[in-house]
Amino acid sequence: MSQATAVREEVRRVIGRSAVMAAGAGDPAWLRARRSEAWDVFEATPLPSKRSEEWRYTDVARLLPLDGLVPNVGEAIAGRALPEGLRRAMAQDRESAGRIVDVDGAVVSVELDEALAAQGVVLASLRDAARAGVPEVEALLATEAVPAADGKFPALNAALWSDGVFLRVPRGVRVDRTIRLSRWVSQPGTATFTRILIVAEERSRLSFVDEILSPHFSTVTLANTAVELFSRGGAQVQYVSLQRMGEGGFYLANQRTLAERDSTLDTLNVALGGSVGRIDLNARLLGPGANSDMLGLYFGDTDQHFDFNTSQDHVAPHAHSDLLYKGALDGAARGVFRGIIRVHEGAQGTDAYQTNRNLILSDKAIATSLPNLEIEADDVRCSHGATVGQLDAEALFYLMSRGLRREQAERLVVMGFLGEVLSKLPLGGVVEKVTQAIEAKLRYV
Amino acid sequence: MDDSPILAVTGLEAGVADGDLEILKGVDLAIRPGEIHAIMGPNGSGKSTLAKVIAGHPEYEATGGGVAFGGEDLLEMEPDERAQAGVFMAFQYPVEIPGVSIANFLRTALQSRLEDGEELDLFDFQELLMERMELLDMDLAFAQRPVNDGFSGGEKKRNEILQMAVLKPALAVMDETDSGLDIDALQVVARGVNALREENPEMSVLLITHYQRVLSHIVPDTVHVVVDGRIVESGGPEVALELEAQGYEEYRKAHAA
Repeated sequence: MSQATAVREEVRRVIGRSAVMAAGAGDPAWLRARRSEAWDVFEATPLPSKRSEEWRYTDVARLLPLDGLVPNVGEAIAGRALPEGLRRAMAQDRESAGRIVDVDGAVVSVELDEALAAQGVVLASLRDAARAGVPEVEALLATEAVPAADGKFPALNAALWSDGVFLRVPRGVRVDRTIRLSRWVSQPGTATFTRILIVAEERSRLSFVDEILSPHFSTVTLANTAVELFSRGGAQVQYVSLQRMGEGGFYLANQRTLAERDSTLDTLNVALGGSVGRIDLNARLLGPGANSDMLGLYFGDTDQHFDFNTSQDHVAPHAHSDLLYKGALDGAARGVFRGIIRVHEGAQGTDAYQTNRNLILSDKAIATSLPNLEIEADDVRCSHGATVGQLDAEALFYLMSRGLRREQAERLVVMGFLGEVLSKLPLGGVVEKVTQAIEAKLRYV
Repeated sequence: MDDSPILAVTGLEAGVADGDLEILKGVDLAIRPGEIHAIMGPNGSGKSTLAKVIAGHPEYEATGGGVAFGGEDLLEMEPDERAQAGVFMAFQYPVEIPGVSIANFLRTALQSRLEDGEELDLFDFQELLMERMELLDMDLAFAQRPVNDGFSGGEKKRNEILQMAVLKPALAVMDETDSGLDIDALQVVARGVNALREENPEMSVLLITHYQRVLSHIVPDTVHVVVDGRIVESGGPEVALELEAQGYEEYRKAHAA
């Protein structure tokens, strides 16, 4: 064994308490303590196993070699040009009110429209905001929305997060153009821990697009994200996640939305890339008149594996939530949807819906759909439905009888099927970008 | 006018793919450019099977005889190749394609007719679509609706006619397009077919129907009566009128043996 190998192994960072210390270097005391407690929770919590209902179809012990991953602790490489793939994706974005760029877990730039900044809108690196003593960060980071106590991965993220986004839109301020996070992971075999904390104050409005990209990797590369979204009374929030990692990418997100009285908090999860994608989304309806539209779109091919675990918690009466997740699966791809509507005691007048539809394009692709209801109030309107269907032979013949080649016909049917989701959240640029990304995938079908 | 048939069906035997049941038991038919032929017959006689075999429906299979279109062996061609060659079938039950607008569908259909690497000019397409919809007296908003999704029976058939008008086939096969239509919808369909024929007198039509009613709106050159998988009589429009008076029973009896 050479000397060089020995040295490299000595400096090689692993997921462990020393990495927690490294990630927290320069943090205020409260945050170092919070990280340390989170690490304790992580160590005390067993890895989710296939024996648990929520992880039955995603075998993390086999798919995610946590011990072998090198955690990114947020050291930005100064002066480095942005990767080409990231620049291309950013160039496609149309008008933005602000943007944060994050490379390998470190924020490298923050831009915000000056007029919005003057109105009190804050868009910042989460790490900078924590260190600057922004009070909401201490109050809300990993406390109410995605605390360490939520599980193994929320705990790991709370201990090891290196950077992310803090966004606050003050009372009554309406941000009409989209604010964006553009993320890139470049190093194979790394683990990146990112947090997004968004607070929309009373009657404010914002839309936020969180896009993650990477090249293809030959080894498993983890991007773990905790998303904490607060919409205060009467606010309107849209959050979109575009997951377009390369092969080898393992995307694991815990998202929680807290919608107060008369606010709307809508989400769209788009999963197109990576080898494994697991999203845990919990929407909490906390006040009467709160509304959450929850949209999801996934298109898997090769051996891609997407697992969505959603819950709609109706805590308050007279709130509304409507979930629609649609996916197309080709190759040997696997799609899992598990959703539950929980109507808590006293949440009378709840309106809650849940629909998951899958289109299977090959013999080897599999879709599993498990919708569920848990109702503890009597005056409610709830429904859930799931379908798994094949490409309709009669529809293909119909299209081909007009001259379309088989692959053109298939593309049209798939785009039409998935397009329903996009048409429900027509955010500037998102529809075009997702459509292009799906079409690029369909070219290889 | 060229006297060689655009469509030549010779001794065609056909049935459902993977099935033993023979539905067409030797059909001969020649349609020349510009001719309108009507195929009439009772339910289960095989008249729709003929349409589906011509269009290339995957569930039907020719087991004997042949179909030539413009001199080419149609049975060797995929459905999309048949369409590109100039065959169009108006479906009896047009299929719903949710999320795909009629305009997008037609644009893709026209794009598919171009060479690889050639792009359909969107402005030209819009122009063509508007012109075609005007010809058929259709509201432009119709083309923005998803293909047949939630359409009434009449709207579905109008959509078939619009597609035919945009794609301008050499042979239009109308598979019981008239069934289930009220008289207004039937007239819309007939006006569309007649307008296209006026524009292109070379367009041939194979009109498959159960009822005589449509033939007073689209007047055929020849009427064929199909019973039990065979053409049992061919003649002028008067054949349809005789049928209307006598019903199919006479033919059934005559050909039962």
